[in-house]
Amino acid sequence: MDNQQALSTTATDMSTDPTLDSTTQRKLAAMIERLSSLHQSRVSTKTDLKDPSFESTKSFILLFTNSKQEIESSLTQIQQNSDTNPTLDLKPELEKISLSITELEKFVAESSYFLPPYEVRSSLKTISDLKQTLDSVTSKVKPRKKFSFKNKHAKKPETANVVTKEAIENEPEQQMSYKPKDSPGYRNKENEILIKEFKGSEIGEFVLSNLTNCEVRLKGCFRSLFIDRLQNCKIYVGPVLGSILIEQVEGCLFVVASHQIRIHHAKESDFYLRCRSRPIIEQSFGVRFAPYCLCYDGIESDLKESNLDDDTGSWANVDDFQWLRAVQSPNWSVLQERERIDTVKI
Amino acid sequence: MGLLSIIRKIKRKEKEMRILMVGLDNSGKTTIVLKINGEDTSVISPTLGFNIKTMTYDKYTLNIWDVGGQKTIRSYWRNYFEQTDGLVWVVDSSDLRRLDDCKFELDNLLKEERLSGASLLVFANKQDIQGALSPDEIAKVLNLDAMDKTRHWRIVGCSAYTGEGLLEGFDWLVQDIASRIYVLD
Repeated sequence: MDNQQALSTTATDMSTDPTLDSTTQRKLAAMIERLSSLHQSRVSTKTDLKDPSFESTKSFILLFTNSKQEIESSLTQIQQNSDTNPTLDLKPELEKISLSITELEKFVAESSYFLPPYEVRSSLKTISDLKQTLDSVTSKVKPRKKFSFKNKHAKKPETANVVTKEAIENEPEQQMSYKPKDSPGYRNKENEILIKEFKGSEIGEFVLSNLTNCEVRLKGCFRSLFIDRLQNCKIYVGPVLGSILIEQVEGCLFVVASHQIRIHHAKESDFYLRCRSRPIIEQSFGVRFAPYCLCYDGIESDLKESNLDDDTGSWANVDDFQWLRAVQSPNWSVLQERERIDTVKI
Repeated sequence: MGLLSIIRKIKRKEKEMRILMVGLDNSGKTTIVLKINGEDTSVISPTLGFNIKTMTYDKYTLNIWDVGGQKTIRSYWRNYFEQTDGLVWVVDSSDLRRLDDCKFELDNLLKEERLSGASLLVFANKQDIQGALSPDEIAKVLNLDAMDKTRHWRIVGCSAYTGEGLLEGFDWLVQDIASRIYVLD
């Protein structure tokens, strides 16, 4: 019994007990140190940049751009150094950059499972651009090896340059080679009320582009509608027989009817729809949906003509192409009934 | 050449063709496939993922892969490239603003090695809409004449809404593929 008591006291007072022999004390100190270093490493991995536990695109982009800028700035630094002092050996620096690019690539690969495909693609593109810059800087600043086939070496970068130059010269030419006429529509307007009435099917497609603080009223049927770059606009449109494509809109109100509706890059906008099929959104957030509520003389027959006379309830079946999980997408919602506008008469 | 001749033999027996339909969103790919198959085209949602249609055309069996064109899912197109005999690129001839996008995506597609042997049919769709560009104009915008000379290609104006031009396009495509794969018939 006495023995056991003695043991327990040594266990509690081991670290302070001066009577303890020196080997035990050393072991104890080592153990405490080990534990603390273990703890330290755990803490540091928690804050480690590469930890994918964030699973948020935002933090990924932040980290990604940070390291990208770091790499870029060190690349320009090297270029400047080599300009001022051409004899300097920059090989280790270049290798370091190449290493950090590889690390960045690994980071993207690790994060790719939660990133939207667009981010993955664009970051891979950035990485390949970085690699290219590194290559070009390397070919510029790296001192030539003793035994190199000078002719070949000299030729290689030259031909590469020629090719890129040719590509640059050709590209705009190809793009500008043929410029088709524009579709009818309203473009580049501010603070205006734009009204148009379509009779029969004289107009096929119609365009609303780059409008700010405008109100647009389109009465009658037509075939298809293209909308892009709208800010704080109110858009009231009669039935569209084909499809509507809406891109880059912010703070807008749409009252539209169509067979197909696609919404890209929309922010904080309300859509009052009648739609034969499921409306879709991409790269959009804060968009809200409600049923169609437009009225003008003769809308009933226009709706009938376009086969849009009965509300199928499709306006609430929105597909978010960036949200493929079973739970409701956070990017869109159904507008509460008390928040909806009354029927609009134009 | 061993593997290629085996594949040819198998294909000859089954007389199957694999056709891939791609193009920007809103160009009318699904509508074309449904129309040519004689189905109802009044309610079609933008394609999330892909549809496969198997149909008999002449004495051949066509496997048509209709892949969604929304920007978010375009990167998945390459999953469907393998063993494609015919490529159908559908253009919305009334969407003038995005013709640059259209050209860019088509150029990317044609760089793809796995599609290098495929015949290319370009459908200039929505010809029924007033103000749509003609097939010739579309060919100019897309700069189709500058394409690799080894590629078999053709542009056909069509309307998936009325059905006009669809058979003409598929006739050419099927004949062209047949003359390459089933040359011994």
